[in-house]
Amino acid sequence: MLVLREIYKTFGTVKALKGICAEVRKGELITFLGPSGCGKTTLLRCIGGLTKPDAGDVVLDGRRINDLTPDKRGTQMCFQNYALFPHMTVAGNIGYGLQVHKWKKKRIQERVEELLHLVRLEGLGDRPIDKLSGGQQQRVALARALALEPKVLLLDEPLSNLDANLRVLMRATLREIQKRVNITTIFVTHDQFEAMSISDRLIVIRDGIIEQVGTPSEIYEKPSSEFVARFIGYVNILNGVVRNLGSETDPAVISTELGDLQVLRSENDIQVNQRVFLIIRPETIRIGPYGEATGINEFKSTVITSMYGGSTIKYTVDVQGKNMVIDQYDPSHAGIFEIGEKVTVTIPQNVHILKK
Amino acid sequence: MNEVAEAGIPRSPIALWQGIKDFVAARTISTTGIILFLLLATFLLWPLIAVLIKSIAGPEGFTLQYYKNFITKPYYYQSLINTLTLGVLTTSVCIGVGFIISYITTRGPRFLRKPLKMLALVPMIAPPYIFALSLIILLGRNGIVTRALNLNWSIYGFSGVVIAQTLAFLPLAYLMIENSLSTLNPNLEESAANLGASEGKILRTIIIPLLTPGLLKAALIVFVMAISEFGNVAILCGRTPFLAPDIYTIVTGIEMDFNMGSVLSMFLILPCAVIFVIQNYLIKGKGYTTILGKPVAAEPRRINPAILFPFLLISILVAGLIFVTFGIVGMGALTKIVGVDNKFTINHILDWRSNMALVNSLKVSLLSGFFGAIMGVLLAYVIVRGNLRGRTALEIIAIAGFTLPGTVLGIGYIFAFNRPPLLLTGTMMILVINCAFRFLAVGMEAGINKLHQLSIEVEEASMNLGASTATTFRRIVLPIIFPAFMYGFMYVFMTTMVSLSAVIFLVSPGRELASVFIFQWASYGYIGLASATTYKLIAIVGASLAVIQALSRWTGLSPTTGGGGV
Repeated sequence: MLVLREIYKTFGTVKALKGICAEVRKGELITFLGPSGCGKTTLLRCIGGLTKPDAGDVVLDGRRINDLTPDKRGTQMCFQNYALFPHMTVAGNIGYGLQVHKWKKKRIQERVEELLHLVRLEGLGDRPIDKLSGGQQQRVALARALALEPKVLLLDEPLSNLDANLRVLMRATLREIQKRVNITTIFVTHDQFEAMSISDRLIVIRDGIIEQVGTPSEIYEKPSSEFVARFIGYVNILNGVVRNLGSETDPAVISTELGDLQVLRSENDIQVNQRVFLIIRPETIRIGPYGEATGINEFKSTVITSMYGGSTIKYTVDVQGKNMVIDQYDPSHAGIFEIGEKVTVTIPQNVHILKK
Repeated sequence: MNEVAEAGIPRSPIALWQGIKDFVAARTISTTGIILFLLLATFLLWPLIAVLIKSIAGPEGFTLQYYKNFITKPYYYQSLINTLTLGVLTTSVCIGVGFIISYITTRGPRFLRKPLKMLALVPMIAPPYIFALSLIILLGRNGIVTRALNLNWSIYGFSGVVIAQTLAFLPLAYLMIENSLSTLNPNLEESAANLGASEGKILRTIIIPLLTPGLLKAALIVFVMAISEFGNVAILCGRTPFLAPDIYTIVTGIEMDFNMGSVLSMFLILPCAVIFVIQNYLIKGKGYTTILGKPVAAEPRRINPAILFPFLLISILVAGLIFVTFGIVGMGALTKIVGVDNKFTINHILDWRSNMALVNSLKVSLLSGFFGAIMGVLLAYVIVRGNLRGRTALEIIAIAGFTLPGTVLGIGYIFAFNRPPLLLTGTMMILVINCAFRFLAVGMEAGINKLHQLSIEVEEASMNLGASTATTFRRIVLPIIFPAFMYGFMYVFMTTMVSLSAVIFLVSPGRELASVFIFQWASYGYIGLASATTYKLIAIVGASLAVIQALSRWTGLSPTTGGGGV
């Protein structure tokens, strides 16, 4: 539905976007994810017509919209600081666009009521903006953007100004509203948990370049670069050299700083002696009582730190001199290992292999 | 000591000494506060009271005769009406044009923003009466434009005064409005544009409503300055009566009528006092907070030409007028009689009377800068950290001294200090004291701001680590408040250099000041000397400004929000 072709943007000496190509499907919630300063907000503004790209095309439904003003594009922007009009009420803000488009008063009232109901702010139409909580302001901004039924909704870090608990709550609300209205939405955030929990697809951006595009599980389980692997969730990365390619039924053998690991090959096309990264997520490593460690991928190790988190417990263990992070679920069942305790650690066979 | 020992609480001599030190330290702040209060009362309140007394003190005691004269004689009340009209007209134009120029410099084409801003602010380093000079050169009796177009119209009168005052305070209005505009979240306008609003609609429904508190604050300040400033009004008023120059002529002219002079002063104070109350009690702190989180720079929008072009036109016109003013006065400084005999000469610049007056001005400005800055810093500390009961009164008196017209304080000083025990008239000290007390409020506010940034916990942390109150003041508070001291010094220095309204009553032979000479020469038509001295003043003030810029970069303190000298 929306296609971005070779978007470039430079601010003075800073190259914010270096040839972004991407595609957004109708009805999906896609997130631009990346560290601060990576260009995600700039990209969003280019789509919305608030920033003019130096080169490249923004195409919506087959039409090139580069030269259209923001109000003629069919996109609506929701700013990080909400940008609500402080001198108007909730209804005044939501109805502003409708007023500008000269809707009849009654129609405006009806539409505003509809939207208040959609974002669950019924009855607050006459409230002045400064008497609203953060979460409520967020929803007014959303309602205001949705009033004119845009084709694409652009959300610039909408939850960053909310406190932690409210953020988690609002994530779900936002996603629910988006699905109910079935509006194509582009979400920008630097919070990877947020991105993963509500998106249909993610685009990971770093320094103005796209690192990887995929569904949250694709990005989490099969990151295409070391950067993406480290950016999303916790990760253990081992340096390895391929010793033995194995086959469809036999695992490959890769020597790492821990020792030799047996790794199932799946779809990777690796060669012998190739240097690789092994991407190992903390929740996939098994930790158990001390034993002989003779099984496949079993190692002796010592617990260095142990951080109890209620539903999980996070261990840092020393395996052959290398620190690894392990998440153990349901510690009440699985048992808690103390600092300094000796344990056995099992690396799974189906880890993700990244070519260096 | 005995009962403490009996209670079983160990009370070492060290703790006792600490207790004494704290006692003295707390009292030190209070004592300083009391001394400062006495100083402010003597040198700001007492002169005002003296004026009030003179306005009601007849030969037989209390009388309202002088007020009756004022209200019944057209010459006098016309003066008040003219002054108020001047204020309203000047303020309207300044706010309107100031808004237009700030709109262009914050939301207009990028390449125009900086040059336009610099040109609009350049008059801040010049004395306000530079515009009277340029208007005389262009449109005076022998003015360049007057002779070229054979005009029959005289610049001396109401219109001349309004034009000069408007140009003089436009930079101040611009500065304050631009400050408000640039804190207006540009996302608001982008939102409105995204929702389909035209530029005109955005202006009407978003920008102007949100800017109104800022515009109001600017308007009040410009109004006070416009009616208080002496130079432009006195030079260009011709036969039209205005309060400030009338007070001067009545008190120092042939009549020497102190009583009527005081009555006029009270009427000049009245609007200023009303505005002072509005500013500090009614609208203090009101305004919209529109920026949450990260501030975003405004990207230039495609502005509707129907709005852009008129705005640009007006801005460039005004910028052009300012440019022409400086050029013309520069020419006046370097030619024998500008417009009549355009032979190049440096005699005006080398004139020894002018240079002697400049040296005097420098001496007075340096001294008043120093005293004003010290008092400002001490006041700030007493107000923020002391617990003396009347400390808000201190702040109010200081700000009142700043807001009230210089003319009134000028004659007030004559009445108050021409008799022992405080016989100061005719000395240099009276000039220094007058300027120091009038302008110290700026340094005080800077000091207060700085101290508020320094939370009390920092000082407590210092004492927690073992430092005494005095050491904490010396090693923690003083270095942090030092920028406010420098800032206060610079402001008082620069403003005293160009100040005219009060000092014109207080100069004496051998203690002339450059500003007074400029005024006298301009009044008698010695434009060359007036122009040359003005430019020398500009050079000195400009150099000081450069020092402030360097200083603020070094310390992180923001530069002026104060106006041109009055």
